Amino acid sequence: MYKFITLLLTFVMSISFEANAAIDGKKAENFIKNVTNTGIEELINSNASEQEKQEKFTKLFNEDLDLDFIGKFVLGRYWRTANSKQRKEFIDVYRKLNIQTWSERFNEFKGKHFEFTGTEKSKSADQIFVNTQVPMQEGAPASVKWRVKETNGKLRIVDIIIENVSLAQTARSEYTSYIQKSPNGIDGLIKDLKAKLK
Amino acid sequence: MKNKIKFGIFLFALTTFFSAPLRAEENDGALETYNRAMFNFNSTVDYYIVKPLAKGYRAITNEFVRERVHNFFNNLKEPASTINHSLQGEFAESAKSLGRFTVNTTLGLLGTFDVASGWGINKNRTGFDETLAAWCVPDGPFVMLPFFGPSTPRATVGMAGDAAANPLYWGDYYTNFNHDWEEYSFYYGISALGFVSLREENIEFLDKLTANSVDPYTTIKSAYIQNRMKMKICGKPAEEESASYDFDFDDEEFVE
Repeated sequence: MYKFITLLLTFVMSISFEANAAIDGKKAENFIKNVTNTGIEELINSNASEQEKQEKFTKLFNEDLDLDFIGKFVLGRYWRTANSKQRKEFIDVYRKLNIQTWSERFNEFKGKHFEFTGTEKSKSADQIFVNTQVPMQEGAPASVKWRVKETNGKLRIVDIIIENVSLAQTARSEYTSYIQKSPNGIDGLIKDLKAKLK
Repeated sequence: MKNKIKFGIFLFALTTFFSAPLRAEENDGALETYNRAMFNFNSTVDYYIVKPLAKGYRAITNEFVRERVHNFFNNLKEPASTINHSLQGEFAESAKSLGRFTVNTTLGLLGTFDVASGWGINKNRTGFDETLAAWCVPDGPFVMLPFFGPSTPRATVGMAGDAAANPLYWGDYYTNFNHDWEEYSFYYGISALGFVSLREENIEFLDKLTANSVDPYTTIKSAYIQNRMKMKICGKPAEEESASYDFDFDDEEFVE
């Protein structure tokens, strides 16, 4: 019986994988090429005013990152216990905080360029990894991996993994550990995150 | 000989007692209280002493000087790389490190100029920690060390091993016949400069890493552990790196 269920499950899973035909590697790579070009060449290296840069960055961020999905992931098991108001508030503050963090951190890529080194399959059929390397001044190049997810035909970034450190995973460790310790749970987290916004 | 036996027992103890796998997400159990206290201690020392020193160092030097200092300290790590590449069976890499050390120490004026890189012999650093990993010594739990920050038992042993391969240490060792603790002042003094120089290089990085964090301890711990996972263990990647995240990204977790 057990065997039968396993077999059945395998069968069902293989069908659903087939149906969700894997995401096209070339397309995902072009998408990331486009993002890095816009993000770096047109934004960081440009002479636009700080405000203009900020606006463009926010637009890029909202369009090309699936923050609803990332937000769910970083709350981990607490997403399920959160009510809809908490979920909405969390995603909202998380989005703003990320734009703030990343518009600052993107400057680290100033003058650098990405070399594309192929794609890697993900276990989830609607996701794929685009592998890139950033040559450094000394030593080995830094590895930057982009996790891309396809939703309704649109590609979006759901994680950036720099030197094996996943941003989503790091945020998830931070937030779940915080909620675990905080007497006010998710509400406490939302409040403290809001305080970080400038 | 006695030391060797002690060291053997120590290695054995590491493999037996610390065989629990490192996980970025789990809390560190009984160690957590200690780790957090140590993290606060380090942050205080950093805030009042190390970071001001690093900023002062930045203020009194220019980029050219800082690069010379940076190269000087990096060059001192080449012997550790040479030895450890050999211990890992990578003899070509070992020869490269030795070549780099020889060229940069002489033509590169005590390592302050990286002549070897200009010749295409690029830096490929390794250390005793990687050697222990290649020998299948498990990592052990996450530990926050005083002053040195995030570590694990294996990383700590690795760091001590690398320090012993530092030419400054030999220099002091062979001129200091009584092995008097205080007589190592030259070694400690210059190591302190290395420490400040390293901190100066990371001022912006650490500021940004923790600026928007509600729990900097966990942020640093998580990033440290994930970064370590790229190290090969027994010659194989620690885990299929991307696959591990796939599991977490499973949609079933988000059933609403």
